[in-house]
Order: sequence, then structure tokens, then C-alpha cells
Amino acid sequence: MRKSLNLLISIGIPLLILILPQSVFPFENFTIIEQRVVAIFFLAALFWVLEPIPIYATSVLIIVLELMMLTESSFVLFQDHGNRENFGNYLSYKEIMGTFASPIIMLFLGGFFLAMSATKYRLDQNLARVLLKPFGKNPKMVMLGLMSITAIFSMFMSNTATTAMMLSILTPVLAVFTPNDKGKVAFALAIPVAANIGGIGTPIGTPPNAIALKYLIGDDLVTFSQWMGFGIPFVIILLLFSWVLLAVLFPIETKEINLDIKGKFLKSQKAIIVYFTFSITILLWLTDFIHGMNSYVVALIPVAVFSALSIINKEDLKKLSWDVLWLVSGGIALGIALEKSGLALTAVESIPFENFPPLLIVVAASILALTMANFMSNTATANLLLPIIAALGTSLSSLDDFGGNQMLILAVTFAASMGMALPISTPPNALAHATGLIQTNQMTKVGLIVGLSGVLLTYLMLYIMNLINFF
Amino acid sequence: MEKLYIICVDDQREVLSTIAKDLAVFENDLIIEECESATEAEELIDEIDSEGDFVALIISDHVMPGKSGVDFLSDVNKDERFPNTQKILLTGLATHQDTIEAINSASINQYLEKPWNKEELIKSVKKLLTRFILKTGLDYQKYLPLTDQETLFEILKKQG
Repeated sequence: MRKSLNLLISIGIPLLILILPQSVFPFENFTIIEQRVVAIFFLAALFWVLEPIPIYATSVLIIVLELMMLTESSFVLFQDHGNRENFGNYLSYKEIMGTFASPIIMLFLGGFFLAMSATKYRLDQNLARVLLKPFGKNPKMVMLGLMSITAIFSMFMSNTATTAMMLSILTPVLAVFTPNDKGKVAFALAIPVAANIGGIGTPIGTPPNAIALKYLIGDDLVTFSQWMGFGIPFVIILLLFSWVLLAVLFPIETKEINLDIKGKFLKSQKAIIVYFTFSITILLWLTDFIHGMNSYVVALIPVAVFSALSIINKEDLKKLSWDVLWLVSGGIALGIALEKSGLALTAVESIPFENFPPLLIVVAASILALTMANFMSNTATANLLLPIIAALGTSLSSLDDFGGNQMLILAVTFAASMGMALPISTPPNALAHATGLIQTNQMTKVGLIVGLSGVLLTYLMLYIMNLINFF
Repeated sequence: MEKLYIICVDDQREVLSTIAKDLAVFENDLIIEECESATEAEELIDEIDSEGDFVALIISDHVMPGKSGVDFLSDVNKDERFPNTQKILLTGLATHQDTIEAINSASINQYLEKPWNKEELIKSVKKLLTRFILKTGLDYQKYLPLTDQETLFEILKKQG
């Protein structure tokens, strides 16, 4: 019942927008193409929030609707038939279809190949074992160790897979805790929190970062190494803060913890190639200024190496998270439609943002992103907000003193990764909540504090970046 | 949305209702059906399949009048309509030869002996449901109450 209502709303409102007379819209020189983009945008927003269909399916739907309604190859009823008045300009169907293989998608594909090979050759498990050792047996230190490892892994692997791995290491240990020990909550929350935070550290850590890269081009370009330059310190500080917060909120009574991760490093030829390629790829990502290859080109190197040597075979290929790639493609396609139709600029210019204090705009935009990300997918949040934010950033000269478009985009992107207050906020949260060790209100409390602190920390980071003339 | 089914097969009514009672924890998220013979079960899974719903798990006794449990499960195993359907043999009277048959021909996923332990049964069912959900490509987030943590993490972490 609720499902059909959701579907009705998600289709009804965009349809209504589509058939309204043009004069209803409060924009000057509003074109027919722009009106269609408004309808598609509302459809995307409603579908991503209410989720009548899976979120990646919404992305595919956006791309197909754009092709059918906005391009020179659109359905006959949507063509201009020589009547160009107020019609606007067609979009290129090649460009819309090209989003499936945009450089951003290739960057993520490379990341997937790295993550998959690391899992297949047990590099992740073995690294976790070795890295955890120095943290000893003191529960607080073990928690810090687990959080650090989770954060590091989620920079290169999906936050979901990292969480699944770390929780499977952790659950047998938590089973021996006394029933009343609040430390269990601390541990179970530490993993998703660290995974969510860790994703911010690199451009491939989480999809919102990649979407941001789409808008950080030209003068606003941010390279892989630059991103890590500000991302890693941010992750470290927020991670330490969360660690202290969890330890204070949920004191651990258990005196000693023994994490037993089995296994040893594989020494087969293929495993060694995986270790080598993994390290080289990261090294190449960090040294783009020396060798000249940008991060997108570098990302395809592991794809070629692992395919050539059957480290990732065709069965593995089928198991790639194509849904995540498509989810991002749809976001990029939505961004193209908003930008190329001129709607993003028209909409932004119709509101006198110039009259608002520029910093208020930054705060409002990031709080909006944080709020949305708590209730829907972080990636969908970035998909919806970033095209408009980018148009706002480029048109608003009052922001220039504070870092301009780059600053605004980073503020919103970071905020989109800070939505972690509810089990539905992110897949890591859902997995941790499903362990039954955490109550929703405990997750909300921690998620809100960490999320808001993260946004404040983002402001501080951007302020410092502005001081040192990064922008 | 497609529905998930657990099919319980046993010729003794009271055994059937005890299994169903033990599995009552799952009732909010899937449908539990009770069949008194293999033939009845065959008709039922045929119907479920034609409705487009899923036979997630079959829990069958072995010694029954008419078709035996192992024969029934072997047929399901060969049936291309049920490639991911999980199978539990729940019996007290299977011979050594039956057991070999159950593993080699029916590829059962779990062998439970009567009388069974309720917790053990629930744990096995959760584990097998988790495998079914992930193998079939259903959205595990919608079925979290049905899933077994360990199995879920084990499969998810392999996805990189």
C-alpha cells in the first residue's frame, strides 16, 4: 500500500511538472528542454528519497529518460519539429550515453579491481592481522586499531565490504563480553563510523568524492594527491575524536581483548603481483605531477594488469558492483542535463544569492547535504546537490575570498559523507545495526555528534586551506 | 515484491506443526507452508514458481509414504527452476545409503537429526536463507531480520 503510494507520488509530481504551462515557472526565457529537465530532476529526487525502485535503477531511468526527452535522437513527440521558439537546445545523446564510461566511472572501476584482488588474495585480512598487532590487548587500544584499519581499508575498498570484514573479525570477540558491558556498543559502532569517515580520505574512497571530481575541473582541479593531502589529516582528526567519544559514552569494562585473525600472507606469484600492482597504483596516484598521467589513466593500469594475468577472471568480472557504477553514471547524466540545458544557472540566478552572506550559503548548503545524507544514500545526495552547487559556486563571486567554487563543492561533498545517524543512512550503519548490539538511539547520538563535528571540522579545514592559498 | 517461502515436508502432522512453531520467528518476513507428502510439496513449489515467487528453503523428512524425502530433494536439485533453493534433510530414520544419496544426488545443504534442537534449526535456517537471498541477488537490506550475521559478512566482504 505504502509502496504504491510512493510510486504514485514519484511519478505523479514529475508528470504534473511536465504538463504545466511554461508560464507557471518563475524563470525568464524558460525553455521546453529546461522544463523537461526540471521534471526529470524532481523524478530523480523523489525516486532516490522514496525508493520505489532500487537507487541504481533510478540512475538508469534518468539516463534513458534524458535520451528519450532531451537529445537530438529523442522520441518523436519530444522533438521540436522545426519550431525552435522557446525550445532550447538538444543535448548530445553521445554525451549522455558516455556517462556510463566517463573517466569518473573508470576511476571507480580501477578502485574495484584493486579492492577485489586484495580480497581475493587475502591481502585485506592479512594486513588487518599485521596492523592490529602493535595495538596490543588493551580494549581501548584495540578499538583504536580496529578503527584505523577500517578507515584505511575504506579509502580503497567499498565502505560496505570493509564493514562486513571488520564486523566478522569483531563479532566472535564481542560474544565473550559480559552482557552489561557497554563496550560492546562502542566496538560495534566504531566500525561503521570509521568506515564512513575513512571513505573521505581518497577520491575513490566513496562515490560522492568521485562525483565531486566531475565538478572540480579546469581552474578548480583537485588531483588525487591533493585530495589525500587534505583528506587524510581530516580523517585522522575526526577518527581520533570519534574514538574518544565512543570510549567516553560507552565505557569498556572488559580488561583484555584477544583478536584472533587467522592466516598468513600468500606467497604465490599471483599474490605477489597483486601486492606489487596495488602499491604501484597508489604510488602513481600520488605522483601524478612527476609522471603526467592523471588519476583516471592510472586507474586503468590495475584493470589491464589483473585482466591480463587472470588475477581478476571473467567470473570475478561479473561480480563487480556495477550497480554502484550505474548509480554514479546517472548522477553525472543528471548533472550534464542541468548544466547543458542551462537550467542549473537559470535556477541559481533566479534567487538573489549575491545578497546573502557568502558563509551563510556554505553553511546552509552543507547542512542541507548532511540532512539529506542521513535519510537517503550519500551518493544520491551528491548526485542531486552537486550540479546545482557547482553552478552556484561558479556564478557567485562573493565566495571568491573564501575559496570560491572549490571550497563550496568540498564543503558539500564532505557533508554528504557525514550522514550516519540512522541505520538507513549508509550500508555500514545497516550492517552494524543488524548485529543487534546497538540501539537506534545510541547510533543516532553518536552519528549526530560525529556528523556535526565532521562538518565543523570541514569548515576549519577549508579555512586553513584558504589561508595557505590552496584555492 | 516477490514473496519468500519455506516449505516443510513431513507425513506426521504434529511434527509439521512443531517445525512451523519453531520457525514462527520468521513469519513476519516470509511464508511458511506445511506439506504432508512429497507430492503435495511438488505441486506447491510448482505453483509458487509459476506465481513468480521464491522457494527459498525446503525442510524435508526422509521416510514418508509415497516418494521419499531424498528422492524429492534430488528432483528439486535437478530442477532448473530452483537453482538457489536451499535444502535441509530433517530425519531420524535415514540409513547410511540414504545419507550418501542425500549428499551426492540431492546436494542437501544441511542434515539435521530428529529430535532437533530449536536454536540449531533456527540458526541453520537463517544461514541458508542468507545464502539464498545473496545468491538470488535480492536486496539483503530488505531482509536483515532473516539473515545470519556471520554468513552475511562472509559473503559481503568477498565483494571488495
